[in-house]
Amino acid sequence: MWRPRLPLRHRMLLPLVGLLAAVLAWPALFALWVSLHDYRLTRLRDVRFVGLDHYRALLFDPVFLNAMANTLHFVLAAVALELLLGLGLALALHRLRTGRHLARALVLVPMFVTPIAVGLMFRFLLNPQLGVVPYLLGRLGITVDWFGPGLALWSLILIDVWQWTPFMVLMLLAGLEALPRAPFEAARVDGASPWRIFTRITLPLLRPVVLVALVIRGLDAFKVFEYVYAITRGGPGDSTETVQFLIYKVGFRFFRMGEASAMAWLLLLVTLALTVLLWHLLRRREA
Amino acid sequence: MTRISRGVVAGLAAALLAGGAAMAVELDVIMEEVPDYDVVARLTERFEAEHPDIRVRFDAMPYDAMRDKILTSFLAPEASYDVIIVDNPWMVEFARAGYLEPLDARIAATEGYDYGDFVGPLRAIGEVDGRIWGVPYYNYALGLIVRQDVFDRAGLAVPTDLEDYVATVRRLTGDGFYGAAMQPQRGYKIFEEWKNWLYAAGGDLFDDEGRVILDSPEAIRALELYIETHREAAPPNSLNWGFDEALRLMAAGKAATMLSYNWMLPTLNNPEGPAGALAGRFQLYEVPGGKAVLGAWHWAIPHNTPHKDAAWTFVSWITSKAVDKERVIMGGAPVRVSVMTDPEVWEKGYGERYYRTVLAILEDAEPLAVGERAEEIIEIVGTELNAAVAGEKSAEQALRDAADRVRRLLGR
Repeated sequence: MWRPRLPLRHRMLLPLVGLLAAVLAWPALFALWVSLHDYRLTRLRDVRFVGLDHYRALLFDPVFLNAMANTLHFVLAAVALELLLGLGLALALHRLRTGRHLARALVLVPMFVTPIAVGLMFRFLLNPQLGVVPYLLGRLGITVDWFGPGLALWSLILIDVWQWTPFMVLMLLAGLEALPRAPFEAARVDGASPWRIFTRITLPLLRPVVLVALVIRGLDAFKVFEYVYAITRGGPGDSTETVQFLIYKVGFRFFRMGEASAMAWLLLLVTLALTVLLWHLLRRREA
Repeated sequence: MTRISRGVVAGLAAALLAGGAAMAVELDVIMEEVPDYDVVARLTERFEAEHPDIRVRFDAMPYDAMRDKILTSFLAPEASYDVIIVDNPWMVEFARAGYLEPLDARIAATEGYDYGDFVGPLRAIGEVDGRIWGVPYYNYALGLIVRQDVFDRAGLAVPTDLEDYVATVRRLTGDGFYGAAMQPQRGYKIFEEWKNWLYAAGGDLFDDEGRVILDSPEAIRALELYIETHREAAPPNSLNWGFDEALRLMAAGKAATMLSYNWMLPTLNNPEGPAGALAGRFQLYEVPGGKAVLGAWHWAIPHNTPHKDAAWTFVSWITSKAVDKERVIMGGAPVRVSVMTDPEVWEKGYGERYYRTVLAILEDAEPLAVGERAEEIIEIVGTELNAAVAGEKSAEQALRDAADRVRRLLGR
């Protein structure tokens, strides 16, 4: 009689592994195959193997490098701001005694709006002809060209911060509430100042939560597409073109799937490298 | 899936009702959600009445969603669209890829169709490598739309060349009123607008041998004038303005001129339209320099539809002389010479002057971009132009970069 050699707990994982292979590994490997070919949707009868040509070309392509720089700038600035603001808000909400449920619910609202709608909303809010923000600023004598050169990428970063700080709040608040009380009480008995308690006890204990929040938010921020698509289309010039938007353009508008897939793989590698780096940095300090 | 199940249900119903009579062919047609589509949809009700064996189902969507949907349909074993519309930068790409059905024989076999009646430059867009792949649906050639009352009050003539235009719009600017409502948005928009300036300055994208001449002195001059005009005669903070914003400024009575689609004139002059009380004060002219950018949509039949005959029956009906005349009277953008010179159209439509101006614009117009890589050329040049207007680089540098990138693209 055939007897399974895998232990039961491993066999229990098989359906999930199978599902992941079908929805993740297969498309990713297909994209890898496509990235090694001159694969154009308008020339499917003429697909040629080109090896690493696309990758080599991309590493020296100013358009791609600029998009990568914009993406990194966007991710680093947006996630850092979200962490700072999110931590502040989470600490405040943690202390709140009256109306805390209502306050929490309100803080979380932006997260539930679909990003493309957020993009359109801000496009109109900041529009110099129709927008309420330029109108109110105008009454104070201030004019800001929100989507002009120099500021456009920062406007997109601020929109991301508006939408995704609530996520940080949610994660960090859950973390704060799960912290043990004893160290805090002991510190207070010993006469430690609030700042000292925060830097020496709260933050170190919160580190695993911060790590997870940063990784999830960072990975998500790398996917920035909707705000760019809805508002700037990558402009002015190349200043807000992100890798995801470039991939969309090259793949779905110019139909050059080979290059688009190579970009997607390079983006994946950069994301992976940063995630591993972040994990190491925060883990090591913990040890 | 729904297509199949609906087909099955329809088939069963037909079999039950008619005792097995032939099933009606269902044509799926992709359309862009624009006013011209509404006109076609209304006319199609009559087509269905006249052709009980053909049902037409429209799938209307925004422009951005169309290109990849059409391509997916081409790649499927059986087309999801039996009739498509093709924007002019896509024509050569689709035709050379083998995705379209040639129409020469069908046109020749259709009695009274009078293919030669479509304006020449429009016909040329649908003809690739000596064969016809699409017939004109509507045009979006650019014209100069002006506030006639503003010019009359200032005692100024409407400019006919670039220098004159630049000087005039500058004079008209002041006190929150602008000489030009421009659309320097990166990519398609700025390219579409600036190319008229390029023609007016005597430049072009390619010379007769197909060499890239984007960095010619004429092109540099055209861009320098464009930037200067944007700085001095267009609203501040308008660097990412597209069509909507420019139209809004014009409709709000805050601008004297705009380079835009010729059929925006009736919209602006409609008392129930966006311009409200200003309706009637707008007038259409040829763009400065005379030679305009031509945009056009064509009807085409995908290579992989099983309903080619029914598809041509529909396309040839909607573009026939008689129906096209009705379409234009109902507000559609004209494509046939006979329609634009028809006194009945003048009377029931927007007047003789309008149609004569449109015809003059169309006869001296050249497509936005042609060739297999047209879509990419538009994006590359449109990005560099926008960077120059943003002050990120000089006009000369931007055009040199654009020319280099286009050369590299075409060499690949």
